[in-house]
Amino acid sequence: MTVPLYHVLVLAAILFALGLACVIAWRANVIMMLIGIEIMLNAVMLTFVGGSAQWGIADGQLFSLMLMALTSAEVSLALAMVVYLHRRKQSVNTDDFNSMNG
Amino acid sequence: MSTYLALMLLLPLFGGSLSALCGRNLPRRLVEIWVCAAVWGSFVCAWLTAVAYRAPVKVALGSWLAAFDLKAPLSLYLDPLSLSLVLMITFVCGLIHVYAVFYMAGEADYARFFALLNLFVFAMLTLVLAENLPLLYLGWEGVGFCSYLLIGFWYTDQKNADAGRKAFITTRIGDTALVIALAWLFQLFGTFSITELNGMAFLVPGGVITAIGLLMLVGAMGKSAQIPLMVWLPDAMAGPTPVSAMIHAATMVTAGVYLLARMFPLIGGSATVTAAIAVTGCLTAFYGATCAVAQRDLKRVLAFSTISQIGYMMLGVGAGAITAATFHLLVHAFFKALLFLGAGCVITAMHHEQDIYKMGGLRRTLPVTFWCYLAGTACLAGLPFTGGFFSKDSILGAVWLKGGMLYGGLYLLALVTALLTAFYSFRMVYLVFFGGNGHVHQTAQLKPMQAVLIPLAVFGLLGGLLNLPDYLGGGLLDHFFAPLRQGKAAEASHLQEVALQAVAGVIALAGLWAAHLRYGGAARAERLMEAKRDSSPLLAFLFNAWYFDALYRTLFIRPYQAFAAVLWQKVDEGVIDDSLDRLSGAVGTTGSWLGRWTTGHVSLYIFSFAAGGALILGYLAWLAL
Repeated sequence: MTVPLYHVLVLAAILFALGLACVIAWRANVIMMLIGIEIMLNAVMLTFVGGSAQWGIADGQLFSLMLMALTSAEVSLALAMVVYLHRRKQSVNTDDFNSMNG
Repeated sequence: MSTYLALMLLLPLFGGSLSALCGRNLPRRLVEIWVCAAVWGSFVCAWLTAVAYRAPVKVALGSWLAAFDLKAPLSLYLDPLSLSLVLMITFVCGLIHVYAVFYMAGEADYARFFALLNLFVFAMLTLVLAENLPLLYLGWEGVGFCSYLLIGFWYTDQKNADAGRKAFITTRIGDTALVIALAWLFQLFGTFSITELNGMAFLVPGGVITAIGLLMLVGAMGKSAQIPLMVWLPDAMAGPTPVSAMIHAATMVTAGVYLLARMFPLIGGSATVTAAIAVTGCLTAFYGATCAVAQRDLKRVLAFSTISQIGYMMLGVGAGAITAATFHLLVHAFFKALLFLGAGCVITAMHHEQDIYKMGGLRRTLPVTFWCYLAGTACLAGLPFTGGFFSKDSILGAVWLKGGMLYGGLYLLALVTALLTAFYSFRMVYLVFFGGNGHVHQTAQLKPMQAVLIPLAVFGLLGGLLNLPDYLGGGLLDHFFAPLRQGKAAEASHLQEVALQAVAGVIALAGLWAAHLRYGGAARAERLMEAKRDSSPLLAFLFNAWYFDALYRTLFIRPYQAFAAVLWQKVDEGVIDDSLDRLSGAVGTTGSWLGRWTTGHVSLYIFSFAAGGALILGYLAWLAL
């Protein structure tokens, strides 16, 4: 049984919207924002894989593998920065880090 | 031939360049010797050229401008007119250079001075020798440029710098007309060559020739200080005296007369143009003479006398007497250089006092200057048998022979001018050299400066030999210039000639007699007393040069300044600056208002980003549906 591309895209859209909502809403905790970003990236990967399955071309799957590597690198870097931020202000609330304003 | 001509031009150019580039680092004496040697070398070349001269010749030295039809090579044209002028220019300028070495002995900035003097000579020689109009124009602007820098030589004094600017701007008005004439000529004939142009006048309608002739006349008016562009010359004496001597005698002011004489075969066909030239010249001669009568500054008297004498030359050109005009130009160069250099001696000896009413008694204390100056004055006044007498008379004779109402009237006016000339010349001599109070300030430089006057005096007095009237054996210049003459000019019978010269001689002597009555002997002291009182309106009118400066101030300078003030305060500051200020203010306010968006809260940024993305998606969806 093959899942139609249409369904995959709807699922990816929902996933993306959830991730975005998480990033926008949960600003009190920078770790939750990172998780939201991961969810959005997963939605993107899902789209790639779905497209790849639809047209029978491996490029999309390759790309999602690349994305996984990329996200793991990004997360490790971001978490290191979170640790650093926490050391500075004893807080992970993004609104506390607003010194770069106009 | 071409070697001599090239050297004649290159020596002053090279001398001037060397003095300008490294004159400050060379010993002063070396620079002085070098610049004098350059001009005298130029004179030797001119002399060798004259010896080798057989017939008018064109010499191509190299190419200069060449694009499509336009060709202006570096080619020179040597004919009697240019040959006689280069001989005079190099000789007189050589003497002036020697004089300047002593006159400027105390001047610190000698390198600049001598560089400019040499370049002045170079520019004038280029002007005179040029075979095509762009090259002539190069020299024409060159003399204008050098005169500007030399008149304002002591530029730290605002007055001198202003005089330089005045000369530059006034002559520029004439130059504009000349450039228009040049462009028009090229458009009509497709060539700039003077020799070719002079033979092509018959190809175009008379009206066009008239217009071009009038434009050239305006150009000559500016350069030669003719009415109405003569206001710069009296102020031009702000420069050092040797510079005044060069401007008034050998270079610069004679350029206009030369241009008209050179282009005469082209423009002389139009009776309107010749009449306009003659009227301009005659009016200017009269104007200059009347102004000179009332001046108090020694150099100003001479400046107005130059305006007047150049007017005579223009009158000669207007009467078609190119030979007479050139004859007067040559003799005038000698005696006017003599007078200016003599005035320089007087001024040096009088502690830089220039008011003739404060001088006196120099006859005994500066005998060499006195006798030379007297010779120059006799030439200027046209006393019989001096050079000035013959040259002025040949112009008057030519005007008389033209006949008709117009030229008859001009002849009478020119005679009145001659009377005035004799009067003011000797007024000057009586005031400066006669009377008591002969204390002078003898300097070491005065002796060599006076020595320079002697050859000039000899040339001025004997200048008549250049072109004696027919009844005395005929003129050298007349024979020499014969190939230039076109058609048969009216020839005076010997009786007529003698009669005309007798009239001119009597007029000159009458002027001398009038000056003697009014300024000689006991009357001199009376005049000195009179000068201390307020002058009459007529005298003030003449003293202020007919109020031409004031007239131009009201007519042109004031409106121009008002217009400039409007443009500056209303347009530049009011419209342009203000609108830009407002615009920048608005941009600044908007920016700081928008800047409040950057709160520093990451969440807001992400939200804005998401909202933007949603907008784009919405737009794309709207497009797709």
